[in-house]
Amino acid sequence: MSVFTTIIKQLINGLQSGSIYALVALGYSMVYGIIMLLNFAHGDVIMVGAYIAWMMMARFAANPIIALIAAVIGCTVLGVLIEKAAYKPLRQSPRISLLITAIGVSYFLENVAQLVFGANAHVIPTFIDDTPIQLGQIAIPTTALITVIVAGISMVALNVLVKKTRMGKAMRAVSEDAGAAQLMGININNTISFTFAVGSALAGIGSVLYCCAYPKATPTMGSMLGLKAFVAAVLGGIGSIPGAMAGGFAIGIAEALVSSAGLSEWKDGVVFAILIVVLLVKPTGLMGRPMTEKV
Amino acid sequence: MAAMLKVNDIHVYYGKIHAVKGVSFEVNEGEIVSLIGANGAGKSTILKTVSGLMHPKSGTIEFMGKDIAHMEPNKIVTKGLVHVPEGRRVFAHMSVMENIEMGAYILGKAPEEAVEDVFTRFPRLKERRKQEAGTLSGGEQQMLAMARALMSKPKLIMMDEPSMGLSPILVEQIFSIIYELRESGVTILLVEQNANKALKITDRAYVLETGKITLSGTGRELLEKEEVKKAYLGG
Repeated sequence: MSVFTTIIKQLINGLQSGSIYALVALGYSMVYGIIMLLNFAHGDVIMVGAYIAWMMMARFAANPIIALIAAVIGCTVLGVLIEKAAYKPLRQSPRISLLITAIGVSYFLENVAQLVFGANAHVIPTFIDDTPIQLGQIAIPTTALITVIVAGISMVALNVLVKKTRMGKAMRAVSEDAGAAQLMGININNTISFTFAVGSALAGIGSVLYCCAYPKATPTMGSMLGLKAFVAAVLGGIGSIPGAMAGGFAIGIAEALVSSAGLSEWKDGVVFAILIVVLLVKPTGLMGRPMTEKV
Repeated sequence: MAAMLKVNDIHVYYGKIHAVKGVSFEVNEGEIVSLIGANGAGKSTILKTVSGLMHPKSGTIEFMGKDIAHMEPNKIVTKGLVHVPEGRRVFAHMSVMENIEMGAYILGKAPEEAVEDVFTRFPRLKERRKQEAGTLSGGEQQMLAMARALMSKPKLIMMDEPSMGLSPILVEQIFSIIYELRESGVTILLVEQNANKALKITDRAYVLETGKITLSGTGRELLEKEEVKKAYLGG
């Protein structure tokens, strides 16, 4: 195999994991944009999505589309519940209390999952016929193609939602200036819940796509995925929607390039090195807005 | 004539700081009423309390006969009372048109005739409707903030320091727009540091000092008062 085809192959891998990171990073970024919270429980929402997908397919022999829909609905409901139960009572509290609560919610979800499903991995049956599509010399795995397409459609849909719909515009208004948004008649609490719902729905899609590539559910699977998506969100500029997308793909491709250089055990290290460099050099990320403290 | 807005003996606190100490005033339909006073007198706090961003510890606020003192701001807007906050607070990263649409949020879709109406009043905004609001000049942002407030067809508009930081020509323009608004039937409660300008277009005014009303009267009366001249009119 020539160097060229190897690189293309790795780029395809990078796009596949990158689109998953991007979907998850969007949830981080949108929530941060609206209530300035790094929702560290976001990764664990994906874990719950994976268990839902596993249950639907392994236990109820449901078809993958139904499993996807169930995971999306389950994650959306969970995301909104977490916001209402854990974060809403802290709306007036210092931001550090919210952050600690988010970490608490994360451990809570992981431990509940372990209690209910046990610590062992549950294997999700393969649901995509993975005969690669041959394009000249390059073989594109079907899962990669489907992942990139589904993620792409989700992001386009999100863009339309945020740019064109009344609720999407309300979301942007609240994230810019919650006080002024209230003076327009926007209900802040509903808008925040809506943001969590959208972010968690994307995480639900992400969880099923993740399961295409790594078909097993474990209680802690969400933490590393969540952390990497968090790095992607910071790289893109936390709070920025296009930033989260770009950051996700950048992290995915960076990992793939490290692997293709034969250093796959360095993959995670490189991701976190990127985080350190971003925080040192450009803490607002690629597309973030300069931080201004609101008075 | 029954008062449109009736504020009765409100006390407002920032934590332990007693910012508004038993203020009462009224705004009648069709009037321009001003609250004037120095920095920190409590003018902005009063507007924030009326619009629901803050709540009084005691006292009542009645708007068109309904007590709104403990209502949330997004509910108060639907009653026809809007607040153009200090510092304009336009959504800087949204376009001018989107800002205008947000003004009509409670109506669902922005009604076309309302959009036409604000574009007739503020032709500059029509030219710049696709621009991000943050790229507008201070005067244009003030016009946008006013246009945004007009979109929900309010009965009463409260404006906090609309002339702040603007050049004399723009100040003139903003005040003439306020005057025109009143002519078209909108009632206005104005907070201003520019007492001279405010009193000239005002029907009635209240002078605030450290959280209390110390004087009130028609605009003309207050312009003539020695203590007002000394303290606020530079003479």
